[in-house]
Amino acid sequence: MNKRMLNVIFIFLLVSFVPGCRDRLDLENSTNNLALGVDLDNEDNLLFYLHNPVYGRGIKNENLVLKVKSQTIRQARGKQDEQAPGVITGRKVQVMLIGKRILEHEDWFQMLDVFFRDMKNPLTPRIIAVNGPISDIMYLNPKDQPILPLMLRGMIDTKSAKSETVQTTLQNLHWQMVEKGVTPCISEIQLDKAKRIMLTGAMLLDHKGKFKTSLDTEDTILLQILNKNAKQPVNLTLTIPGHEKSGPIHTDHVSILVQSMNTKVKTSYQQNKFRFDINIKMPVDLTELSFPFDVRKNGKELENSISKQVQKKFVNLIKKIQEQQIDPIGLGLNARAHEYRQYKKVEDHWGEALSKADIHISVKVNIRSMGPLK
Amino acid sequence: MKKYGLNEITFMQYIFLNFGMVLSIGFLSLPRVLSEQAGTAGWIALIIVWVISMAASLIVVQVMKRYPDGTLLDLVTVYLGKGAGKVVAILFALYLCYYGYTGLVYTVLIIKQYLLQQTPAYIIMILLLIPTYVIVRNGLRILGRYVELVMLLSLWIPIVYLLPLKDAHWLRLFPVLKEGWEPVFAAVPSTFYYHIGFSTTFILYPFLKNKRMASIGLVISYTLTMLMYLFITIICFAYFNSDEIMEYNEPTINVLKTIEFTFISRIEVIFIAFYLLIFSLSWIPTMYMSVFCTTWLIGKQDHRNHLRLLWVFIAVGTFFFMPTVFQSEKMNTLLGQIGLGVEYIAPVCLLLYVSVHDRFRWRKHL
Repeated sequence: MNKRMLNVIFIFLLVSFVPGCRDRLDLENSTNNLALGVDLDNEDNLLFYLHNPVYGRGIKNENLVLKVKSQTIRQARGKQDEQAPGVITGRKVQVMLIGKRILEHEDWFQMLDVFFRDMKNPLTPRIIAVNGPISDIMYLNPKDQPILPLMLRGMIDTKSAKSETVQTTLQNLHWQMVEKGVTPCISEIQLDKAKRIMLTGAMLLDHKGKFKTSLDTEDTILLQILNKNAKQPVNLTLTIPGHEKSGPIHTDHVSILVQSMNTKVKTSYQQNKFRFDINIKMPVDLTELSFPFDVRKNGKELENSISKQVQKKFVNLIKKIQEQQIDPIGLGLNARAHEYRQYKKVEDHWGEALSKADIHISVKVNIRSMGPLK
Repeated sequence: MKKYGLNEITFMQYIFLNFGMVLSIGFLSLPRVLSEQAGTAGWIALIIVWVISMAASLIVVQVMKRYPDGTLLDLVTVYLGKGAGKVVAILFALYLCYYGYTGLVYTVLIIKQYLLQQTPAYIIMILLLIPTYVIVRNGLRILGRYVELVMLLSLWIPIVYLLPLKDAHWLRLFPVLKEGWEPVFAAVPSTFYYHIGFSTTFILYPFLKNKRMASIGLVISYTLTMLMYLFITIICFAYFNSDEIMEYNEPTINVLKTIEFTFISRIEVIFIAFYLLIFSLSWIPTMYMSVFCTTWLIGKQDHRNHLRLLWVFIAVGTFFFMPTVFQSEKMNTLLGQIGLGVEYIAPVCLLLYVSVHDRFRWRKHL
């Protein structure tokens, strides 16, 4: 009898004191931040933009964009809280836009520390560089498109699957910044003249996050092949010399679908510099041929000229990278794995060492199918 | 004279008890520690420690074979007298209690950091202690079943760790021996901390149904531990590069942060909540054995009163004092050092003493 009373009292005490609902936040009380933008204004003040969806009856504009001047992201959130209808939460951030003006400075990456330190924040937002002021994009609000964060994320995810841009999440970027043998590479967007968002390819940064150069979609595809990131089939359109062009119609093009390519890198160290032999085997399917050609008969010839053209493109890309003293391909990883002693010496200025390295590329194209036409 | 016959545990439960206790919390920070000490060669240290730990645990079994129907406490009483038995009981109870408390504190801090930032620590502690009481109250057999259940419920963990591999670069694992063998051996001492827990055999041995299998059980559980550690370490090494991995306190959790499904984006929160089952193996068995020692001390059978005392003590204590992350880390290091003494050095001394003693007596009988 006595014992039962004790148990009841004990359970009563537990129920009244223990429930741990202090971390609760109702959806109605939260303003979910889906896109975060960081930019500099003309006087070099940091600007933070937050893009939040708002729900409710009678609301015409369902996008709430908040803009504040501030020094850090966490501080900005405090200021933005003053303007937001609910508590701003960053748990659902989908994309992070970084203005090109920021990328012209070093060490901006440290600013994102809050995403790594505060476990409530995700590490999966896609990093996008914006060529132009971010405010144009944030306030764009086009009527014929889904809300901005979802549209951008969709763009990045689908285009990166086709290797037309890179999918650099915050976690990937962290690795690319910390790793000495690789330099960062992020997606790039800009507004075209008709005020539509365009995904232009990828942007290459140096070790400290400073802008170096931009790649168009075609170069990005090549880079992704070198990176071994091109897991799904990619499209390439090439010009084949020796076929004349008649008027405004281009009759010298061939389009190929490259699938399950195989990239092999051989690393060595000779004559005081690194040497990389990159062998790429590309099985291709012909998808378009804009000049009359008997593929069945002269397949080998076509294979050779495609190989030559692709190889030329790769060589140009490598040259561009070496000129900028960066390494978005991650050849530094190969150098460390195979020539550690030499790599250790140049580790801290790997970009410079790579610019002096010999990089040889050989491409072997193998036509697998020509389609139903011969 | 089977005085522990009522509470037998099976071979499987014995393996899981050992495996669970050794693994419980260590695997969160292990890859970082290994990387800090030995870079990409850290995993070799695991294999070295695996061999040493197996040897040490087999010594424990050898000691216990001399007195198969009693625990360490009974054995010491027989060989060294009552007073020594009592001293050993107190020390062992303190050690196990400290082991359990360290695990609890670490778990509370992890929960506070990753899941419930605004909930006070003592509430989390009480929430963890309630199921602990329910299980420990019922003795060893229920404990064994609980451990089995936890293992079954956690079978998904290795599979989930295969998901982040799409972002892994295997080149990061090379060159294996960056700076030669020295760092590998330097990493060995701090790896011992991640392998303590087999001293439970001192208590569990008489409860084991089939005692001849004890050594095999320990070998199996240590091999499982080694494989699991190796698996997680190699995945972390391939996923993070060696500079990056040191920036995270618990790389094993960070690996999961980028897993995305179309239907749920922040999956790691759910994973951490599931981990609690595994974490619980660091304090539930130790708390049981700790109160087992103290009840043995006063010569009673019912361990529940001591359990209630310990329970209230921890719950109330947490209300007034909760260690910070730094203190918790210091506690872990201290536990590692004490554990090295209790689990690696003490059994060797004990075995030497016991065998000398036996031989001496044998001569006298002649």
